[in-house]
Amino acid sequence: MEQFKLLVVILLSAVFVDNYVLCRFLGICPFLGVSKKLDQAAGMGVAVSLVMLLATAVTWPIQRFVLDALNMGYLQNIVFILIIATLVQILEMLLKKLSPALYKGLGVYLPLITTNCAVLGVTINNILDGYSFVESMVSTLGCGLGFLLAMVLFSGLRSRIHESKIPAPFRGLAVTLIAASFVSLAFMGFAGIVENIFG
Amino acid sequence: MKTGIKNLSVFVCICTVITLLLALTNAFTAPLILKNQNASANQALLEVMPDGEGFEAVSLESYTLPATVKEVYRETSGQGYVVKLVTTGYGSDMTIMCGVDAKGVVTGAVCISSNETLGKEKTYGENFTDKDAAGVEAVDVIGGATKTTAAYKNAVKDALNTAIILGGGSVDIRTEEEILSDNLSAALPEGDAAFDKLFLVEVIECADAVYAAENGAGYVFVRGEQFIGVRPDGTLVTDGAEDAEAIAAAVARLQSVTLQDIDLSAYPDLQKTVLSAQMTSSGNYIVETKGAGYGIKGGNEYHPASGEYIVVRVAMTPDGRIIDCLTVSEGETDGLGDACAQESFYGQFIGKTEENYTEIDAISGATLTTDGYKQAIQRAFAAVEILKGGE
Amino acid sequence: MSKTKSLSVFTNGILKENPVLVLILGTCPTLATTTTVTGALGMGLAALVVLLCSNVFISLLRKIIPETMRIPCYIVIIAGFVTIVKMLVQALFPGLYETLGVYLDLITVNCIILGRAEMFAGKNPVLASALDGIGMGIGFTVALGAMATIREVFGAASFAGIAIPFMEKYKIAFLTKAPGGLLVYGLLIALVYVITKGKAPVRTSFSCERCPNADKCQIENCTKKEAAA
Repeated sequence: MEQFKLLVVILLSAVFVDNYVLCRFLGICPFLGVSKKLDQAAGMGVAVSLVMLLATAVTWPIQRFVLDALNMGYLQNIVFILIIATLVQILEMLLKKLSPALYKGLGVYLPLITTNCAVLGVTINNILDGYSFVESMVSTLGCGLGFLLAMVLFSGLRSRIHESKIPAPFRGLAVTLIAASFVSLAFMGFAGIVENIFG
Repeated sequence: MKTGIKNLSVFVCICTVITLLLALTNAFTAPLILKNQNASANQALLEVMPDGEGFEAVSLESYTLPATVKEVYRETSGQGYVVKLVTTGYGSDMTIMCGVDAKGVVTGAVCISSNETLGKEKTYGENFTDKDAAGVEAVDVIGGATKTTAAYKNAVKDALNTAIILGGGSVDIRTEEEILSDNLSAALPEGDAAFDKLFLVEVIECADAVYAAENGAGYVFVRGEQFIGVRPDGTLVTDGAEDAEAIAAAVARLQSVTLQDIDLSAYPDLQKTVLSAQMTSSGNYIVETKGAGYGIKGGNEYHPASGEYIVVRVAMTPDGRIIDCLTVSEGETDGLGDACAQESFYGQFIGKTEENYTEIDAISGATLTTDGYKQAIQRAFAAVEILKGGE
Repeated sequence: MSKTKSLSVFTNGILKENPVLVLILGTCPTLATTTTVTGALGMGLAALVVLLCSNVFISLLRKIIPETMRIPCYIVIIAGFVTIVKMLVQALFPGLYETLGVYLDLITVNCIILGRAEMFAGKNPVLASALDGIGMGIGFTVALGAMATIREVFGAASFAGIAIPFMEKYKIAFLTKAPGGLLVYGLLIALVYVITKGKAPVRTSFSCERCPNADKCQIENCTKKEAAA
């Protein structure tokens, strides 16, 4: 039961309190770039979550059973980024072959994900936080969901901004960042709630 | 295919070169990183023992140490110990690191985590640096932050004692209450270690204070360092007291005295200041009076007053000498004015008369509380004067 | 290479193509490490070193690295230098290492570095690539420093950890938090627009124009395609 509570806290913290995009700024590029339309935002969010989960499932055992065992922790960065790049390639090929419909929905976002810092960030953070495999997977799921949530919420906001009249200097990226700031401000309200959720 | 193999081999070569570069850098940085990590782990310890060369944790299983001691580190070259203590200040835990050298002198004390309101604990530790046991004892607690600083001071004393114990010496690590309880039990073993301090309504010249065993096994008369156990029939538990007869007589008086309530409706003047009044069969008076301390007068928009009076119970001889005094209730500020509920404060009024009752040490930082308390005492004198006349 | 050309390569990164304020690359460290001036400058310098080393290395190997394998090769080289810089920072500046944390690792996926490798170092000689790396690195550091100065002075009433007493009463604590970073960045971009009277080639929207993956990008209304259309 205690273990379950811990997992729930990890999950909720990752989604709301330590939201990767809004609080830690990981994956901010696609957040600003691909959140103009709801379907694109959702597609990107799902694709990132998928890659994150796969990447964690592969990198965690490699770190624990290969890098740590060989005392070669300094290869972490290279190994992780290569794993992510390879995974993305494989996923892209598989999707193309097995499900062209799904590929049309998700596949187009995949090439962008290799250099998405949220994916590398989550795999490294799981190691830094000393999570077990299950905890790592749960935390990764939370980060993915948090990313998806932020993308979807923000795409709604952006469509409203798009319809408004904005002073020239703020047009484009400036107003987008300021709007993101307010969404981030709203997420700050979650701090302190999750830790005490079980009293 | 051929280009595929060539491409792949280029990639593998690059990977190999980079890996070699990394291994080289790692060989250079790894020892430095390890040193840094050790240094930061030792930093908290070095802060309180700046000359320390290295530290190792001491296993505490085989020692009996004060309850506040959580961890102890031995300085590897034998300079002394660093003790980590957790104590309760004003409502929250304070974690204190204290270094003690081989001669029993404090090398430094810092509070590494706390949640105290006033923040005095942040700098208070500086007072203890380079002080020995007597020097530590002489450090004053800070008025207005009495609980915080007193707890801090006790923690430093505990650290000094820990260093002595670990060094093979022995010290009394009991708290004051434990010492009192042990002394009482030694004087009257039948008392089962459960004693109550008696609120005296009779003048007992042969003792400073009298404790009664809860199980009725007898009394312990305390005067100075002396603890004398007496059975209810007046015989001493331990022989040898010079004034055995006086003590026996006092026990007889304590047991025979009866109290009679005085109907205050007959005294309209007293109804606002006196809550209850009693008279003993020997003619002494016991009155409960109230005084307006900070709880009544101190209210403002920032610190709403509790609206509670200080209520004091005073036993007095008919000629106006205080036999005993006790704080019944108070609504004073926690950690500041509520010091008036401690015996060290109200005990000062014992033996005083209307002429000299103001000559007591005020509670520092709590003038309104002290004044309110004096008001209650003054009202007791006035009440006894009126009650006497009304007979 | 003429002197003026190499100078323009160098200054390009600082002014005309400032990676943070004009190209809008490397947003993640820009937002995350600018809570303190020390952290921002540390981040900027770490990125500068990685950028310089990877640019030189990639430029040296530009004729050996096969076209089809170039992105994996670039990534390995960059990740390698990032790890070297990370280990050096950890060994020599442990305090800075604590401050930057995982963001030091994430220099690997900083678009600026891969972007410069793809756009410049892979096609240009060593000296120009080195100058480009230094220029871009300085531009990145200066922009980070400027943003951190605003956030630290107005948010925490200090500069590089040194308290500014008279600011203490007026500090706006939220500037040091995540939303403050986004707000200051947004305002800075608007300010650049005002100062240059809208003539600076600031990207008005977040496009894929400089994105190293732009070739592969298949998102329908990718701004690169929009621009081309």
